[in-house]
Amino acid sequence: MAYLATFHWGWLLASLLLGLAMGWIAVVHRGQGVSKSTSWWLALLAAALLATSLARVIPGRPGYWLDLGLMMFAAYLAGCAVGSWLRDWVLSRHTPAV
Amino acid sequence: MHGLFRWSSKWWPGVIPLVVFWAIAAWTNTLPMEADLAAHSTAALKDTVLDKSRITVAGRDVTFAADAFSQDGRRSALASVEAVPGVRLVNDETRLVPEVNPFVWSAERDVARVTLGGNSPLPASKSRLLEAAHAALGGVEVVDQMNLSRGAPSHFENAALLLLDQIGKLKDGKIELSDTKVSLSGMARDLGGREAIVAALKNLPEGFSVASDQIKAPPYVFQAYKDPVAVTLTLTGYVPDNNVHAALAAAAERKFFSEKVVDNLKASIGAPSGFAAAVMPALGALSRLSTGTLVVSDREVKLSGDAFYDAAAVQIRAGLGKDLPKDWQFKADISVKPAVAPVDATVCQQLFSDLLAKGRIQFESGRATIDPDSAGLLDRLIETASRCPNANIEIAGHTDGVGDEASNQALSEKRAQAVTDYLVKAGLPADRFTATGYGSTQPVAGNDTDEGKAQNRRIDFVVR
Repeated sequence: MAYLATFHWGWLLASLLLGLAMGWIAVVHRGQGVSKSTSWWLALLAAALLATSLARVIPGRPGYWLDLGLMMFAAYLAGCAVGSWLRDWVLSRHTPAV
Repeated sequence: MHGLFRWSSKWWPGVIPLVVFWAIAAWTNTLPMEADLAAHSTAALKDTVLDKSRITVAGRDVTFAADAFSQDGRRSALASVEAVPGVRLVNDETRLVPEVNPFVWSAERDVARVTLGGNSPLPASKSRLLEAAHAALGGVEVVDQMNLSRGAPSHFENAALLLLDQIGKLKDGKIELSDTKVSLSGMARDLGGREAIVAALKNLPEGFSVASDQIKAPPYVFQAYKDPVAVTLTLTGYVPDNNVHAALAAAAERKFFSEKVVDNLKASIGAPSGFAAAVMPALGALSRLSTGTLVVSDREVKLSGDAFYDAAAVQIRAGLGKDLPKDWQFKADISVKPAVAPVDATVCQQLFSDLLAKGRIQFESGRATIDPDSAGLLDRLIETASRCPNANIEIAGHTDGVGDEASNQALSEKRAQAVTDYLVKAGLPADRFTATGYGSTQPVAGNDTDEGKAQNRRIDFVVR
């Protein structure tokens, strides 16, 4: 894990920034979100992929690609969470002043 | 927290560029990362002893194939690769090098090269053996056909290094080590090489032994050539040691009374037993030839040349075979020298005087038995006597002045008679010779020195 993070830090940073931007936007976004049931399915899919990765059942290059994808996805999610929370915090500070 | 769930439902659009990122990252990083892992894995194996080590990386999974020399070595190599950071799985394709029984190693020498074959326990010992072969053999090409195998006896390398030293002493042949048994065959390079190898093999490490030694030595050759034109006797080849050398040189001086002895003999070990006992009579036989070659090769004596007369040829052929030690072979190729033109009595006398000036007929001390060393001189005298068939010859015996006159007189008569008998036995008519003893009455030198006495003890041939 440490090796993968060191080797791909650029891509992980890019994923994190992408997540940050997406999270920032998501707070004020007016479009349609994913429905609750779809979210569950997606979460389940992510968990299944994570389990597959941890069990090391996919060999060779596909296994590596899965690990890489999951790490980038995790960085993205972390970026989203931080971005959304920041945006929310900024908004809540400005609202009382208005 | 509730907000986070609400917002997260709107995070999905970012996944589309994320997937694009992911694809690019996978596309660009796979090969560099695999190369990096391969380099690290190879570096981790730097200090382990392996043969045919091969590392292939797919993603983060390493396929590791190698031949290990022990179970422990194999496990530790595997652990080293597993411990490389970033490696996810190791596919173990290692195996132990095959164990052989018996563990055979060989070094074979032919004219142009030395081939090392069989088995070697470790790559390091293999390279040490090759290095030692290069060092021991100078410029000779060394071919490596050794396999790596387990099952070598302890001290294998020491034994093999010792044997490699011996291969330099062979002209051709093979040295084989089978477990702890050494077999040798071939031809030694030099005389004494076989003995040197036997001596060196005593230093084999404990537990090793010689199972068969079939090293042959080159023939032990001694040659003597009597050249009547240059009036020389040339001795070449080998003698066992300096004592034998001195004895042979002295015998040659005695037996070849008129020839100059050219001594090119070298001392060397490896002589067949009974060498001196065989060469002495063979030299005596050669001294009776007008021209001839003596070749002693191992236990075979070959004598060829021309005798002075028929009876001499017969005597030489029959005599030498009896004089040789047991187990020795004798081959004679003796012809008779063509008869020389007759001369008149005065020339005959001159020829006798010349011969007897160069050498004296020798007897055993105080007795009338002719010394075999004088056979060559007598043959020349007989040949001369047969050139003047009409001359009557007095065989005159003389002694030195030591002892009483009566016994000297008797001894001189007996010695003159002995020479006469010898001539008659050689086929000359008895009525041509008269044996006369003069005791010490006609000295040719003073009797006060040993040299003078020796000159006075003589047989003269006087043409009447």
